Amino acid sequence: MDQKDTYLIVVAVVICIIISCLSPYIASGDPDGLEKSAEDAGVPEDFSIEEIKGIPDAIFPDYAFANDPDNQVLQIVALVLGVIATLAVGLGVAYVIKK
Amino acid sequence: MENGGIELHIPDGFIPISQCIIYYVILIVALYFSVKWARSNLDEKRIPLLAVLAAGIFAIMSMNMPIPFGTSGHMVGGALVAIVFLAPEAAVIVFTVVLLIQALIFGDGGITALGANVLNMAIIGGFVGLYTFKYLKGIIGKYPAAGVAAWLATVLAALACAIEMAIAGTFPANVGIPSMVLYHFFIGIIEAVLTVIVLIALDKFRPDLLAWNNETKGDA
Repeated sequence: MDQKDTYLIVVAVVICIIISCLSPYIASGDPDGLEKSAEDAGVPEDFSIEEIKGIPDAIFPDYAFANDPDNQVLQIVALVLGVIATLAVGLGVAYVIKK
Repeated sequence: MENGGIELHIPDGFIPISQCIIYYVILIVALYFSVKWARSNLDEKRIPLLAVLAAGIFAIMSMNMPIPFGTSGHMVGGALVAIVFLAPEAAVIVFTVVLLIQALIFGDGGITALGANVLNMAIIGGFVGLYTFKYLKGIIGKYPAAGVAAWLATVLAALACAIEMAIAGTFPANVGIPSMVLYHFFIGIIEAVLTVIVLIALDKFRPDLLAWNNETKGDA
């Protein structure tokens, strides 16, 4: 990886961290497109068309710490960890495919 | 922040397992072709680009923006990835990584619905985005073409999602299709603006990374 590509990763991570720091404060809490469409159709919250077993609990449900879901600083931490994980897995997968 | 948002992220329980399996088969076939594409097209500088786009898409998906009707939406990025690489295969790889992490670690989008989610956001989003872009760029110029492509990719991905919800029996087509298309008409505008901004930034600072600048890669 040459210097330009290292620079690309650094700039991208900085932008991602800025987004992660802003999201907990400015992201809209309104229901999103699919949620609203489900609401329009009268689908209840926590709807399930059939019971699905064995789904592991998310480590950071709804991009927050499970024991303190409204803590916005912890939401930033969860998002930044997600950014780093995605970058690392993306690099790893791409290198493995290419090898 | 309430971005447990399902947006286009179908959660577990919205599609019966029998149908999830069909979407997983589609995902496996798509991954087969995408890995083949990646082997011959990814190089030392496109590997970091792919990973950076995955991280950026993960981050931007947390930023729900308000749209009319008391609804919100965020950028998805399927068209963007497909246009950057001039290959929908790149979107399949990026979204498989992003959606797996979102489903497993953050509970956003279902693990059982992964195949359907990749189908909507990456396969439909990527193909519609790329081919709309290719068709329009000679007529209206590359940035307007990319904007329209990103908008159309969002709306058609939402339409596909509504059809899948109807097949699943979760909500009927006569409510789901108008609602999903209406909301994503507006979400698509966010998608279009951000897609064009990222493409302009890449073209300005790293034109070498955009496949449309590499004539040797062929059919741009």
